Amino acid sequence: MITVALAKGRLLGPSIKLFESLGYDLGEARDSRKLVIDDPARGARFLISKPMDVPIYVEYGAADVGIVGQDALRESGVDVYEPSVLDYGGCRLVVAGQPAYQNAEWRSLAGLRVATKYPRVTKQYFSARGLSSEVIEVYGSVELAPMVGLADLIVDVVDTGRTLRENGLVELDEIFKSQAALIVNRAAHTLRVEEIHALMEQIEMRDSKFQVQNSRLAGR
Amino acid sequence: MISQPLDKQLPHGVADLFFNDAARKRAVERMLADTFARWGYSEIIPPMFEYYESLAAEAGPQLREEMYRFFDRDGRTLALRADFTIPTARIVGTKLFDRAMPLRFFYVGPVFRYEEPQAGVRREFTQAGIELIGAATADADAEAIALAMTALRAIGLDEFRFTLGNAAYLQATTRDLALSDTDDLALRDAIRRKNTPALARLLDALALDAAHQHALAQLPALWGGAEVLDRADCLNDDARAAIDHLRAVLARLAQFGLQDFVTLDLAENRGMAYYTGILFEGFVQGLGFAVASGGRYDNLIAHFGHNIPAVGFAIGVERVMIARKAHATIALDVVAQTHSARVADARARGEIVEVDILNREDDALREYARVRGAHEIWWRDGRREILP
Repeated sequence: MITVALAKGRLLGPSIKLFESLGYDLGEARDSRKLVIDDPARGARFLISKPMDVPIYVEYGAADVGIVGQDALRESGVDVYEPSVLDYGGCRLVVAGQPAYQNAEWRSLAGLRVATKYPRVTKQYFSARGLSSEVIEVYGSVELAPMVGLADLIVDVVDTGRTLRENGLVELDEIFKSQAALIVNRAAHTLRVEEIHALMEQIEMRDSKFQVQNSRLAGR
Repeated sequence: MISQPLDKQLPHGVADLFFNDAARKRAVERMLADTFARWGYSEIIPPMFEYYESLAAEAGPQLREEMYRFFDRDGRTLALRADFTIPTARIVGTKLFDRAMPLRFFYVGPVFRYEEPQAGVRREFTQAGIELIGAATADADAEAIALAMTALRAIGLDEFRFTLGNAAYLQATTRDLALSDTDDLALRDAIRRKNTPALARLLDALALDAAHQHALAQLPALWGGAEVLDRADCLNDDARAAIDHLRAVLARLAQFGLQDFVTLDLAENRGMAYYTGILFEGFVQGLGFAVASGGRYDNLIAHFGHNIPAVGFAIGVERVMIARKAHATIALDVVAQTHSARVADARARGEIVEVDILNREDDALREYARVRGAHEIWWRDGRREILP
């Protein structure tokens, strides 16, 4: 049996479609209260969990593979294989702030306060640039923080940029682009080669029109 | 926030062990030590702390960062040992360099790393492992891997699989590229994580010649059986030697009947910064992270004055404890109501006998014996009661 962790939220719909197109039955997955969905016919179990939890499940081996945004993956800092990127879930992780910062060389300001759901990535970004910053971890609407003076800047994912505009914020820098990614537990990759590999290959074949390169085919 | 008083708490990353957990851990440590000893290894016990300068030798930035450091009264920096390999290298390089080689050492004991919490990681944890010193042969590498596998079997972990790579291959393949540190790190990271899309982007950005481009781009796919060795591009003699060496190690493992438990993985570059040759990790069914890891370190002992090749591995004792679901609980044999010559005799024979010192009522003693897993009660009047 293979256990697949799928991230809830905007990635879930496309992820369900991906596995359904491969012949798996995730009928109950659209019922948002279901946490575990079994497809005994195909010998698969799907775990539906918060995006930030997917890398953890996979690193510990509670799930063999997972589909998660690269944003959550980078933030988690886990040691897993990430053989392919999928053609959905595109977004960008950016630094944003009020328009006053646009020209006001924010890169030279000391002691900036930054609100984010991505404290690890944020600290890495600021310290790599030699900036002293105070990172404030928030769990909900990050855009609120600059409006009420909680923070000078925010680091968050943007899709269209509408939420930023609506809250009077502008993008100051892009940290990285993110897509949905397939991740694989290292022990499962070694101990259960056939099963894991068959799934990786199916996903990569289906996705090959987008795929720059994928791990299995690259060596052939 | 009002902080809680610390006097009843434990710092993050350490644990108290008692009763069955302590007994099971000691049992595992003994079984591992016995296995190593039967292969001709003798125990080495380095100090728990020593000068930071010694331990930081060749440790690499990450392990150095993770060391617990403190000062002695003269202001010199000391550190708790973060592994056994570096202290062993110091001992060999300063004291044992002129002995007949090879030297075979095993160790069992705690090491300390100031690590971020991650899968199966504590800040004080126990390593049991070996160092095989004074041989750079494929036979030495195969012995280290075979012994790691044998040790896992000895503690009842039969369903294992090892990955095997060679740090020398990637080293040789990138040797002529003169990559910046940043690019080199990014390249190794993408290869290690089998992150093919990121690797492709990076190789494009580096604008390498076609030969290097191909050799590196295919690395994430170069894992599996012996056939991956035929697919690897060898751009120079060192790369070819690295591949040939893996072939030789596989052939030696076949003599042990263990070649089928190995997955070659040329993208593997995890592990200690001091690794220069083969590197391997052992995985067991039911656990999502490695229980054993090791590799060859031919330049480490040279740091301490003598150029001696070596290979070794460590098994994470806490990790194998998680994997060993079989509860080898250490139960009592007998609960005796009073001390007697018979109790002393039984203990001399190796039975575990506990004497009641609380003067319990009969029923209370019977219940206590049951909870403790004893199979007999010896009453004051000499009666022996066999428990169900």
